[in-house]
Amino acid sequence: MTTQTPVTDEIFPKHTGKTYALVELMRGEGPMVGKGPDDTVFSFPVVLLWEALLLLGVTLTIFVFSLLKQAPLEEIANPLITTDPAKAPWYFVGLQELLEHMHPTLAGVIIPTLLVLFLMALPYLDHSRANVGVWFSSARGRWIVGLTALYTAIVMPAYIALDNAFSLRELLRGVVQQWVAQGLLPGGILAVLVALPVLVVWRRKADTRELMLTLFTVMFASAVVFTASGFLLRGPGFKLYLPGQMPWWYNPWDGL
Amino acid sequence: MALSSLTTRISQSGPWRSFFRHGWPDNPLDRSLTMTSNIFFHLHPVKVSRRSLRWSYSFGLGVISAILFGVLIWTGVLLMFYYVPSVERAYPTMKEIQFSVPLGQFTRNMHRWSAHAMVLMVILHMARVFYTGAYKPPREFNWIVGVVLLLLTLGASFTGYLLPWDQLAYWAITVGTNIAGYAPVAGPPAREILLGGSEVGQNALIRFYTLHIAVLPLLITLLVSLHLWRVRKDGGLAANET
Ligand code: HEM
Repeated sequence: MTTQTPVTDEIFPKHTGKTYALVELMRGEGPMVGKGPDDTVFSFPVVLLWEALLLLGVTLTIFVFSLLKQAPLEEIANPLITTDPAKAPWYFVGLQELLEHMHPTLAGVIIPTLLVLFLMALPYLDHSRANVGVWFSSARGRWIVGLTALYTAIVMPAYIALDNAFSLRELLRGVVQQWVAQGLLPGGILAVLVALPVLVVWRRKADTRELMLTLFTVMFASAVVFTASGFLLRGPGFKLYLPGQMPWWYNPWDGL
Repeated sequence: MALSSLTTRISQSGPWRSFFRHGWPDNPLDRSLTMTSNIFFHLHPVKVSRRSLRWSYSFGLGVISAILFGVLIWTGVLLMFYYVPSVERAYPTMKEIQFSVPLGQFTRNMHRWSAHAMVLMVILHMARVFYTGAYKPPREFNWIVGVVLLLLTLGASFTGYLLPWDQLAYWAITVGTNIAGYAPVAGPPAREILLGGSEVGQNALIRFYTLHIAVLPLLITLLVSLHLWRVRKDGGLAANET
């Protein structure tokens, strides 16, 4: 193209043989409607270069790591000899940690089901469109996430440590029924711990997005705490060991 | 014949033009055609917003997950040439891979570390999408596809964990499947279906193997394609909106 034609002439050519045009007026919204002139670039080649760079970086990292660290292979499987401790893979070890504190149906089934249901329901609970594509939505959102994460990082380890020292299961054995001591009570305590920051934020006139930021952060940070506790601090007999006091012959990282 | 006229003749020949259906991508039209006429490129939008390209927006976590999945397919196929999914042969073939197959240990390392990394990266990607609010309309459906991808990724890693048939594998899967068995009513039968019996044995090994090398990778491939196509259909990354 040598001569520059105005954009409108490109879209609506003046001298064509065409006697018709396919044009439709639409009601409603498309992803780019009302966005004004867009600040876009052609994907070719910048996106492909970006991806090629990531490809090199990721494979190189894995490559070097694989040269340095061997994948574990223990003795052949033996159903008669239980390993001590016997741990689930790291992404399920948080559930195994939960199992230490409450009834298996609650820890192994109800709580994970609730987590997945929460994730699935999330976009239907919160569908405001404000501040989409902005980290934490706003400065206030950033504060909410930070404080909630801090709160969780204090409260959940405290729960694990307290319940480990004064186990509800043992204290209330024979005092109340099992479903109270191992279901209702620990379930209730966890529910209160999760609900507390949500209530605080709600009292301060939060919008739905801010409530979701709080809820997601408590759950996500709790999952991290329980996983870290189960993975790093549980040793032989699946007992809790303070950092640094793990028996020398057991290294949790060997089980990756 | 001058070099330039030779290249012109080649690039205008029938075979060449049947492979490359566009000119040299140095102008808007050919840059668009490059992206739309190649099966791998066409999963991308033709244009993207500058904001969405910023590293600190997405940290590339979705792309990293997809790359790790690719590394897993590559190294997984190599391992399949040697591995035999039977209770008697599985562990010995693992030893063989480690000690007598050229680069066997290295290939196994790559496969194992990429697997852990993929689970981690997918979880971080989900957190990134949540904190940038990218699950909101019109991306609700793609968020759901993502949640299913998370579950499939966990499943792929978990089923692979059993295959070495060592103590680590055996007891991790025993503990893991016991958790599933705690569900009232549906739990024990679900565990039984997964293991093909009441204990981890040959039936469990062959079921986990089939899920691990065929069913789950196929489902993940299918859903990742759907996922990326939805990213495009939903108007690119959510960073475009602001
Ligand atoms: C196998 C796992 C997955 C792969 C390979 C994958 C891949 C990708 C890629 C390449 C993108 C483009 C942007 C980016 O790189 O961040 C993306 C975006 C997205 N992903 Fe995933 N993803 C996976 C899992 C998930 C999960 C677990 C979720 C959420 C539960 C999710 C939800 C989304 C959404 C909503 C977007 C659009 C983001 C935006 O518009 O900013 N994905 N994914």
